[in-house]
Amino acid sequence: MDLTVNSVARTVQSPPLASLLTVLREELDITSPKAGCESGSCGACTVLIDGEPRRSCLTAVCAVDGAEVTTVEGLGTPEDLSRVQQAFIHHYAAQCGFCTDGLVVAATAYVSAGGSADTAAISDALAGHYCRCTGYVKIIEAVAAVARGDEFDIAATASSANNTYVTIAGAGS
Amino acid sequence: MKVVGARLPRYDGVGHVTGRTTYVDDVRMPGMLHAAALRSPHHHARITGLDVSAAEAMTGVHAVITHADVPLLVYGHLSGAGIPGDEPLLAKDHVRYRGQPVALVAADTVEAARAACAAIEVGYEELPALFDVRLAFEDDAPVVNDTFGNWYNQYEGNLDVRQIRKGDTEAAFDAADLVVSGVYRTQSQEQAPLETQVCVAVPEPDGRLTVHTCTQAMYFSLGVVCSHLQMPMSEIKMVGGTVGGGFGGKVDTASDSLTALAAQKSGRPVKWRWTREEEMLASGNRGPWHMEIIDAVSRDGWILGRKMLTIHDAGAYGRFSVYGLTKHSFHHTGAYSIPNLHFDGYVVFTNRIPTTAMRGYGVTGLSTAIELHAERVARELGMDPYEFRLKNANRVNDTSPNRIAYEDPSTVEVLQSLASATGAELSDELRTMTRDQRTGDMLPEHLTAQVGSGGGH
Ligand code: FES
Ligand code: FES
Repeated sequence: MDLTVNSVARTVQSPPLASLLTVLREELDITSPKAGCESGSCGACTVLIDGEPRRSCLTAVCAVDGAEVTTVEGLGTPEDLSRVQQAFIHHYAAQCGFCTDGLVVAATAYVSAGGSADTAAISDALAGHYCRCTGYVKIIEAVAAVARGDEFDIAATASSANNTYVTIAGAGS
Repeated sequence: MKVVGARLPRYDGVGHVTGRTTYVDDVRMPGMLHAAALRSPHHHARITGLDVSAAEAMTGVHAVITHADVPLLVYGHLSGAGIPGDEPLLAKDHVRYRGQPVALVAADTVEAARAACAAIEVGYEELPALFDVRLAFEDDAPVVNDTFGNWYNQYEGNLDVRQIRKGDTEAAFDAADLVVSGVYRTQSQEQAPLETQVCVAVPEPDGRLTVHTCTQAMYFSLGVVCSHLQMPMSEIKMVGGTVGGGFGGKVDTASDSLTALAAQKSGRPVKWRWTREEEMLASGNRGPWHMEIIDAVSRDGWILGRKMLTIHDAGAYGRFSVYGLTKHSFHHTGAYSIPNLHFDGYVVFTNRIPTTAMRGYGVTGLSTAIELHAERVARELGMDPYEFRLKNANRVNDTSPNRIAYEDPSTVEVLQSLASATGAELSDELRTMTRDQRTGDMLPEHLTAQVGSGGGH
């Protein structure tokens, strides 16, 4: 089977009924989709399939032969964060981070489809995602900020890969 | 103040939003095996036979671990603090709860490991199970715990009850205008982190082990693993600190010791990741609490004394429950000052999953009981619940059940903020009340002996 994963053509050897989650994590070593439940309940394994958010744990890889798959690694890098990624940092929408990759993917699909800053609409779009840490408020604020077109001044943050402390412009002194 | 009030970015934020944070399940090792556990299907049974030979002979199986492979089988989570161990790492003669691990298999794939688990032959003779803490004290109750019986019996060496005695409770009840009692029972709760229990253990060429752990308590877990494996701490390296949610449930060392043993026995890196079902059905949860409160109350709204009986459902083994109950006993007056106390608490064992920490261990269910009871007393008195609470609220130099003088109690401010947030009307006197040490009307006779002494009676 052939997939395009994060814009790179990949040929997959796993059995056709292997889940896309297993293929991404175990065969292709793309570890951002998380196995939170492997039964379609938590949303942590969400990836984009031809631009649509889908649960990779419930998707047999043979069903996406020829498709374009995007994980959070394909949305932005520490040096070049997407607006949704910037917003999640700016609004503290990631705590333990285990749900975050799936949420960033789903939020990206929502805003690229022209989703509004309306809280109810955002909640609806992200309804299938569990987050045990944040209580969801900050996640919704982050997505609303992107939908509103807010600017995030996180130039310093963007250069700070690998667990070093950074300063956001305007932080108190 | 560089940090308080400042807007500081999370140091791990960029990693979290770009998929770069390495959780334990993301650790990759060449030649890594995958583990699966055989768990008890019964709540309570005697093990009459255990045969792993068929499983060991299966293709792709590299190690099968049973109780016989564990250098120190029984070790307690509080053994380091002098509380005897009671829980075998793998079941030996009995299973005491459904989901208790009996064996661990490490194989080339998780499917092969599960198939091998299914090929293990275990003989069980089912025993009657105990689920209701109130029945644990009956003569004919099933005996759950080999070490302690049906309730923990080694407080201060040989007491079977955690007691607090403060002041003169009998005199307080004699002086009461009203006696109000209530029974409160909270249920168990799973911490439900998004990341299930998971471990990757790697045997190093020099004989040491590297353990990638999801623990919330690294050095504590290091001690537990070293004890079970009977290895010095210098030979086990724990790598952790990146946890996909814990909420107390990852204070227990749930997967590290067994994964380390499997790595040692197979000579290969091993990953053991629990399924969501295992996480929900077999990982330690917040235990249920049974709480009976009787208050001696005066007509004008003072709590003169309290008698309390608590029965904590520890599940099948002790883990941290003795600590949880002790903390519970220290807090059993909650945010209120009660000078005359008679508290008895028991840690009772049942055929349920062993319980453990979760956000405010020992105190969260207790707060529910105390606040419900406060509401009940206020209603019986026909008094505004805010007035009742504020009168009795902890003030500077009031003393806790274990006779610590409060230096910075926040009850008064919290209640005032709550009233203003919810639009409840407070009298001027209550609205302007402070946490300062009691004087005048706020220092009734029953509180004079304890205030400011720090030593109680
Ligand atoms: S792992 Fe796919 S929805 Fe939870
Ligand atoms: S940040 Fe921990 S589950 Fe969402």
